[in-house]
Amino acid sequence: MNPLSYLLLGATALALAACKSPTTKASAGSAQETRCLTALRSSADLKQKADACRELARWGSAAAVPTLVGLLGDAQLSHMARYALETIPDPAVDRALREAVPTLRGRQRAGVLTSLGVRRDARAVPMLAGYLNDADADVASAAARALGDIGTPAAARALETALPRAAGGQRLAICEGLFRCAERLTAASRGRDALRLYDQLQSLADAPHQVRAGALRGAILGRGHDGLALLEQAICGPDWVLADAAARTAIEMTAANVTRTLTQALDRLAADRRVLVLQVLGCRRDVRALPTLLAAARQGDVASRLAAVRALAQLQSPAAAAPVAELIQDPERPVAEAARECLAALPGEQADAVVLRMLASTDKATRLAALDQVARRRMKQALPVLDQAADSPDPQVRAAALKQLGAFGGEAELARLLNRLDRATASEDISALTDALSTLCPRLAKPDLCADQLVARLATAGPAQQAALLHVLVSVGGAKALAAVRTAAQSPNPPLRTAAVGALTDWATADAAPELLALASKADDPDIKLRCLRRYLRWAADTDVPARQRLDMCKQAASLVERVEEKKLLLAALGGINQPEAVRQIAPFVDDAATREEACVAAVNVTEKFTGGRNPVPLPAALRPVLEKIAGATANADLARRARALLEKKP
Amino acid sequence: MPTIIPGSALGLNGAVPPSERIVMGGLGIGGRGTHVLRWMLPEKDVQFVAVCDAKRASREAVKRVIDEHYGNQDCKTYRDMRQFLAERTDIDALLIATGDRWHALAAIMAMRAGKDVYSEKPSSMTIAEGRAVVETARRYGRVYQTGTQRLSEANFVFCIEMARQGRLGRVHTAYAHIAPWDAAEMRHDWLPAEPEPPQEEVDWDQWLGPCPWRPYNSAYTRGGWRGHYDFHTSCIGEWGAHTFAQAQAGLGMSDTAAVEYHYVQNDSGDGMETRFANGTRMILSRGDKHWHGSCGMRFDGTEGWVACADGYHLPEASSPTLLADLQKIVADYIARTGRPMSHVRDFFDCVKSRRLTVANPSVMHYSMSTVHAANICMWLKRDLKYDPVKEEFPGDPEANRFRSRAMRAPWTI
Repeated sequence: MNPLSYLLLGATALALAACKSPTTKASAGSAQETRCLTALRSSADLKQKADACRELARWGSAAAVPTLVGLLGDAQLSHMARYALETIPDPAVDRALREAVPTLRGRQRAGVLTSLGVRRDARAVPMLAGYLNDADADVASAAARALGDIGTPAAARALETALPRAAGGQRLAICEGLFRCAERLTAASRGRDALRLYDQLQSLADAPHQVRAGALRGAILGRGHDGLALLEQAICGPDWVLADAAARTAIEMTAANVTRTLTQALDRLAADRRVLVLQVLGCRRDVRALPTLLAAARQGDVASRLAAVRALAQLQSPAAAAPVAELIQDPERPVAEAARECLAALPGEQADAVVLRMLASTDKATRLAALDQVARRRMKQALPVLDQAADSPDPQVRAAALKQLGAFGGEAELARLLNRLDRATASEDISALTDALSTLCPRLAKPDLCADQLVARLATAGPAQQAALLHVLVSVGGAKALAAVRTAAQSPNPPLRTAAVGALTDWATADAAPELLALASKADDPDIKLRCLRRYLRWAADTDVPARQRLDMCKQAASLVERVEEKKLLLAALGGINQPEAVRQIAPFVDDAATREEACVAAVNVTEKFTGGRNPVPLPAALRPVLEKIAGATANADLARRARALLEKKP
Repeated sequence: MPTIIPGSALGLNGAVPPSERIVMGGLGIGGRGTHVLRWMLPEKDVQFVAVCDAKRASREAVKRVIDEHYGNQDCKTYRDMRQFLAERTDIDALLIATGDRWHALAAIMAMRAGKDVYSEKPSSMTIAEGRAVVETARRYGRVYQTGTQRLSEANFVFCIEMARQGRLGRVHTAYAHIAPWDAAEMRHDWLPAEPEPPQEEVDWDQWLGPCPWRPYNSAYTRGGWRGHYDFHTSCIGEWGAHTFAQAQAGLGMSDTAAVEYHYVQNDSGDGMETRFANGTRMILSRGDKHWHGSCGMRFDGTEGWVACADGYHLPEASSPTLLADLQKIVADYIARTGRPMSHVRDFFDCVKSRRLTVANPSVMHYSMSTVHAANICMWLKRDLKYDPVKEEFPGDPEANRFRSRAMRAPWTI
């Protein structure tokens, strides 16, 4: 780092240290400015001078202006000089920039013209106007945009005068300048002047589409209520660009009667244009569009009907509920589906009442649609009606009702569903009730309460109900539920025992592992033994269980594994425990031809992990013979190489 | 392959009726851009026809992706952006995926040329750039979307809706993730100069665009621009460009920016408390204190909290019961807003309907204003106050000088 760099860094540090107090901040800024200016006036290299300019963008004052302006003609530093000058809040900058312009050429001149625009220097207007027809395209377009940024009536007049003679890119730049002027004039409460500019842009022959679109927008918005005729004309006219622009503008408009203008135009439009306007009506969310949207939703081409239904959803008017409900059975599937989505999203009791009426219908399709709506709308007040629907003679309606009772019922529904389970005889009803209870219980988030109610029924229930209750207990989880399942697994009643074993193997946490091990060890039925052992071994491989616990689990299972398949499951579990003890447990399986390769892979993987990584453990001496055996026994050359590498690894 | 009828052939010049295809071009599409491109290509009403890039290798690689998809060799390539925009009047919309330094300016130039724009985040490098994007889109009636795709993903939408609908009670605090790499303090050094390649290989002047000149080094063009003040928006902008928009959406603050910024003495801004005019707080958070994954957000209310980040199967919540209505809440959002759970599809739908996208210029400008103000707070190492209406730091000329940066000629917003 050269001395000047130290100088700049030191100055920065000084300035930053002082920046909390306004007084010291000012003095620090002054010191920093002085140092930066010294750098700029020195023979410092380009990087150092660029850094000085960057610092002056923060610290510079009128004192920095002469030095910075002197750099504007420097091809390498002109930009960085402007970088500093643009942010200096002193009128001396504007004067200096104006004076510099005639001395500059090309990009340097274009850059300074831009800066005059950024600083909105109204005194620069005559000079900027003089460059609007400059042969250098960059200079001419920079002048046009700068005049737009300044945005005074004089700037606008300069641009208007230049527009007829402009072509190509410069024509676009002048249009941009006029747009900016119009926006500034509007902000300055000179709406009439702005409107004149928009109208001039509108009347421009062969203007690019974006200019026509922007001019129409300005002309409509600038006229307020009187702009509606222009809006309607564009929406209904032959020009897609203008229709498009009018649609976009209509979304922005707050004037009264915009909705009426759009809805009245709708019947005169072709399909594409109708879709566009219907979408606009949705975006505007003006409920006065409701009758028109409902009519459009009922008849016409599918695209328009779809757009209308979707717009109704955006409107969020509950008054749309009844008519939209009728569309749920529409033969056009997309319309029917959109109506379902729409009704589900409509807020309020009025919409709920419509759904409740649908539920009372004798028509099966309507009732099923209503049940779907009840769930989508989370209509708790429909729970009694759902309870009645669960008694329907139609199994499809019954199943749908039970599903929704599970989906958002409460504690009262838990008791009712259990009563139904007691009475149920048909297997599809028992299945539907099991699903409903399995959905409901976890939602209640009260495992003890649920377990108590389920267990209370278990003793007196029939075999099918017992199986169902045990299945539901799995969804409940927790110590109480597990204790009940464990007891059932000891039952002398074979169907109950089988269901309980199923529940244990489905249990969602490793809490069931001890019971699984006991059954794997002592059950009379070899099939139960096997199922429990396999599930136990999967828990032993579950990385959510602490490694120490998994090691113990593997150790206990080792004496039970007899078949090759279970031995491989055990090896898979041990292969995921990155501790020397795991390798010790793997070692005996290397001698067994049926499991040798799996054992070798597991042992090498584990050893690589605990001897590597962030906290490596040295290879215990007792494991060296195991790895030596693997290196000689495996048929996998790469594995043998890895085993040897571990043996050769320095601690 | 159905016949493509570009807007220009129909005499539409950029206006795309609902039944027609959207003719697309790509600008500065690198690794991230190619991901987005691959989301867009399968859309049946979209046809990519040309790409422009200052780097020959990139434009040719992207051409291969596009040609491979369509089974032809029709995608045209351009080096010069101004030529690209001037010549391809048939193109309705652009995918912009350059480095951060170009996002706002390229979007503005494209919209001035009559194109709709899908631009990668961040939408701006400064407050002034963001304002210019808003004004240009409005001026020409252009559709613009920033690639903050989580605003169109179910888990994030759910969390936002939970906060907005009052299901968490009164939401008093949001947490927004900032990137785990880089610092808030930016680099000002130059990488060692290397011989500048031929312009056709790497057009270095165009690559730099509006930024201060510096000597060529190939590392910049391979993503090494990150962390440099001239090219990047720091660890705060890197993810804040996503997460601030997400958090502000949930707080109902998408039409404003935070008004207070409290400096924290670390190098990243982790823990910075920002406050909105209504008193709600948004806290910048680095690491996995409040979620596990990238671009996380969390809303804390008087009756519970929800959080999510990338990779979540389901959002996290203070109680499982808060998640019960997840599907309904997302479905209702879709029906109510008409927005699909696909960010690129939302853009294409809006190109046809002409309505505002979910990540429209205004939404992005305000959330990025919060990003920029937070960065300025870190750079000045002191608390700040910001006025989002006047878009200035009241009575703070020093901070105000960071709101814009002069662009290198001939580039200008």
